[in-house]
Amino acid sequence: MEFITNPLSLLIILPAASGLALLAVPPGKEGALKGLALAAALLTFLVSLKLYAGFDPAQAAMQFQLDKPWLPSFGINYFLGIDGISLLMIMLTALLMPVAVLASFSYIKESRRAYYATLMFLEASMIGVFAALDLFVFYMFWEGMLIPMYFLIGIWGGPRRIYAALKFFIYTMAGSVLMLVAILWVVSAQHAATGAWTFSLPALYGGALTAQAQLWLFAAFALAFAVKVPLFPFHTWLPDAHVEAPTAGSVLLAGVLLKMGVYGYLRLAVPLFPDAARVFAPWLAGLGVVGIIYGSLVAWSQRDMKKMVAYSSVAHLGTVMLGIMAFEPAAVAGAVLQMVNHGLSTGALFLLVGVLYERRHTRMIDDYGGLAKVMPGFAAVFMIVTLSSVGMPGLNGFIGEALVLFGAFRVYPWLAGAAVAGVILSAVYMLGMYQQVIFGPLRHTENKVLPDLSAREWLYLAPILVFIVLIGVWPNPFLKRAMPAVNSYIALSRQQPAPTVPEVKFSLGGKEQE
Amino acid sequence: MIPDPVTYAASALSGPLLLVLAAFACLLLPLFFRQLRGTQGIMALGAVLIAIIFLRRAPSAELSLFSGALLLSPLSAYLWAFTLGVLTLVILLSVSRPAAPEESQGEFYFLLFMAAIGLMVLVAAGDLFTAFIALELLSLPVYALAGIRRSKPGLEAAYKYFMLGAFGSGMTVMGIAILNALYPALTFAALKVGPAQPLALAGFLLVISGFAFKTALVPFHMWVPDAYEGAPTQVSAFMAAAVKTGGVIVLWRLFSLFDGGPIREIFWWLAVITAVSANLMALAQKGLKRLLAYSSVAHAGYIAVAFFGGRQGFEAVLYYLPVYAMATIGAFSVALLLEKDEKGPLIEDLAGLAKSRPWLAGAMSAFMFSLAGVPPLAGFFAKFYAFAGAVNSGYTSLVIIAILMSAVSIYYYLKVTVVMYMKPAANGHPAEPPGIMEAVIFLLAAGVLLAGVFSRPLLILAAEASLWF
Repeated sequence: MEFITNPLSLLIILPAASGLALLAVPPGKEGALKGLALAAALLTFLVSLKLYAGFDPAQAAMQFQLDKPWLPSFGINYFLGIDGISLLMIMLTALLMPVAVLASFSYIKESRRAYYATLMFLEASMIGVFAALDLFVFYMFWEGMLIPMYFLIGIWGGPRRIYAALKFFIYTMAGSVLMLVAILWVVSAQHAATGAWTFSLPALYGGALTAQAQLWLFAAFALAFAVKVPLFPFHTWLPDAHVEAPTAGSVLLAGVLLKMGVYGYLRLAVPLFPDAARVFAPWLAGLGVVGIIYGSLVAWSQRDMKKMVAYSSVAHLGTVMLGIMAFEPAAVAGAVLQMVNHGLSTGALFLLVGVLYERRHTRMIDDYGGLAKVMPGFAAVFMIVTLSSVGMPGLNGFIGEALVLFGAFRVYPWLAGAAVAGVILSAVYMLGMYQQVIFGPLRHTENKVLPDLSAREWLYLAPILVFIVLIGVWPNPFLKRAMPAVNSYIALSRQQPAPTVPEVKFSLGGKEQE
Repeated sequence: MIPDPVTYAASALSGPLLLVLAAFACLLLPLFFRQLRGTQGIMALGAVLIAIIFLRRAPSAELSLFSGALLLSPLSAYLWAFTLGVLTLVILLSVSRPAAPEESQGEFYFLLFMAAIGLMVLVAAGDLFTAFIALELLSLPVYALAGIRRSKPGLEAAYKYFMLGAFGSGMTVMGIAILNALYPALTFAALKVGPAQPLALAGFLLVISGFAFKTALVPFHMWVPDAYEGAPTQVSAFMAAAVKTGGVIVLWRLFSLFDGGPIREIFWWLAVITAVSANLMALAQKGLKRLLAYSSVAHAGYIAVAFFGGRQGFEAVLYYLPVYAMATIGAFSVALLLEKDEKGPLIEDLAGLAKSRPWLAGAMSAFMFSLAGVPPLAGFFAKFYAFAGAVNSGYTSLVIIAILMSAVSIYYYLKVTVVMYMKPAANGHPAEPPGIMEAVIFLLAAGVLLAGVFSRPLLILAAEASLWF
């Protein structure tokens, strides 16, 4: 019963069950299908609101815990629980899902049943990643998420969808398998030290691992997460996947999936291996800054709007990485907030590009211009979202970016200084694109008849706009909830290793005794 | 709580004996009663279902029969149940689409039953010599089954399989002869305490090579692609699921005779070479059955990795076998359903399957993702358990190689889903009314979907069985 009454578990089971239910909708009942999909997504969002309401912002401990034995012989439990960071991520996921469903109504014309079911399965696994406190459960959702996303890109994507889908799947999987070995290693080291099998994260925090082992293990985890973030130079799957994915796929990819990589550092890699994390942190922060500059420069040179937004994601996530690797309260809090911000603003940008694409079937900047005259509503929304993305004060992007830069400056002054350049660059290319698309003369006759945003489009853009402004002027409720989690992350990253050293054998031959 | 040994032995042996009876009934009755011709499949199905109904949970004790030749324990009970399950599935497939021509129906089921009995004896064998006889009882019918259509690809498959298999058997006999000269007895228990000397090593190597043939470990896998491709698909499914199991169990028994030393090193290399080369060779395959053949070789490699996990690893192997069998038999069933000639469909023939038969495509994807080891499908859990034991015993580098190769395998498994979902249909797959075969496929798909997340019952049985080793 607790599987349903616990809101976290419900947030996983509800979308998964709705996905199955959607598959059972008889073919031809399109209205019912869409209605059901939207209802399921909205219901999930309502449950997430309950989570928000019941969350105690003062507590640093994991809340809404559910811990049920699953595979007891291996010490694997169905162990869920959230802190402020996961709360925000789950809220973001639950908010973006109805938006994604609404945005797909007119865009998706083939195999709709499977499409909406896939979205629901995706939501279940994404929430599962953020809610899991057991390494095995985490890994299961982490990898399981690939299947729906793969089909989403591969079936309903653009012309090069097969290449993009395969690249996405293989890249992410190849990055993650070593993490599985590392997980097994950590668990067996813990078993060697304590005699008990456990995959529970809180039990594994502060485990006694040698510095040498930590380096290897951290590297294995860091690789998996770096691919997902994506950190330069592991980012090459991202532009392909983003560009080929259908609009809803891009929104979820940018909005939620990339956050899973950062979340992995916050929840697993750093707290599990703090010594190694401190060694690697400057390098990861450095890669983040390289990503900011590189992503911005490449974005600047794009003529395809979707590609530009995709590369801007590389830059934004670089900022986030800089923040979390600074181990400084302001920077980490800013990074967490920036994760939410990026999900909102980049999600909205993909939606807006999708709006244009549905009307004109092109994403090239050169095919537009002067849209302000025919689509004033669109132009206004686009303005707000663009400004949010470049970090304009008063909107959400500013708070996150500023906190990251202030905090990171105390730790890595040079890197933070370089990151500022990226912020400026982002204003250059984003505003440049905005100007070319919205202002100027209406060069193309086809554009003269473009209809403005429809009621449905307003409906799915509105909630994002509300949060963009809300976080911009009043970020406190969000920061307040994230702060205890941020502090405990920093505390975990500073802990000293225990002196005991359990030895797990490591060899290249088959010589040792069992 | 050991029951009366006679009662236990009688009830346990009634299963194989019933199969012997059924085998002869399928072969002979139709010769005498004309009206029974064509019903052999039903008879076989009935017999195997009766055998399944009489399956009982074995008492926690080991009963040694025929002066140690046959060991009855929860382990043998577990593997016998597995054998009966595989046999049922193969018979179901053969009933809905006969693998053999009309006049050879009786022989087909006779041979199939004989092979199954061979497997049952093999997994319960207490000494090497019994294991060898059982191996022959398992292999000889399968050689004949591969060529039962007497068509060119079938005969080629049977010929290759027989030649290489006979070579493998010859090596096994040679090895057994050497060991027989050195050890007082050939029981596995006696072999464990025997003296270590170079000649014994040679004997073990020969025996291991022989069984590695059946398990299809590289470099003893050469027969696999041709045999799987040319044999009737029902038989290929049986080979992939059942014949391999026999080899795996005996190899495990041989492996666990050694606590270290050169034999372990050889197994280490066998596992590595198998995992690496099978996955690389699979990348280039065009035929679905050939792809599944190489995939089965690769899985033999992962199972060999699990050997290094000690008892935990053996438990994993016992879980791995049924999970792998479900996915492989399922995939072969899909191949059977779509095949137009004996060599089975090419991968590209599956194009557009998602449009014309979405549920079938869904089931096939489940098999592929399970074989690839993607959660939440059962194949992931199987690999996880297999690798967990090996990492825990300190064989991290072995696991790293195996897991990287399993990441490579993603590519060719995904290729199948790409073709089904993302390529337009080349030639339509006419939607046929669902029959037995579809039922089998969906049953197996449900199996790979659920056996992972709900793996506890199967794991408990496997753990119990692994104790009796």
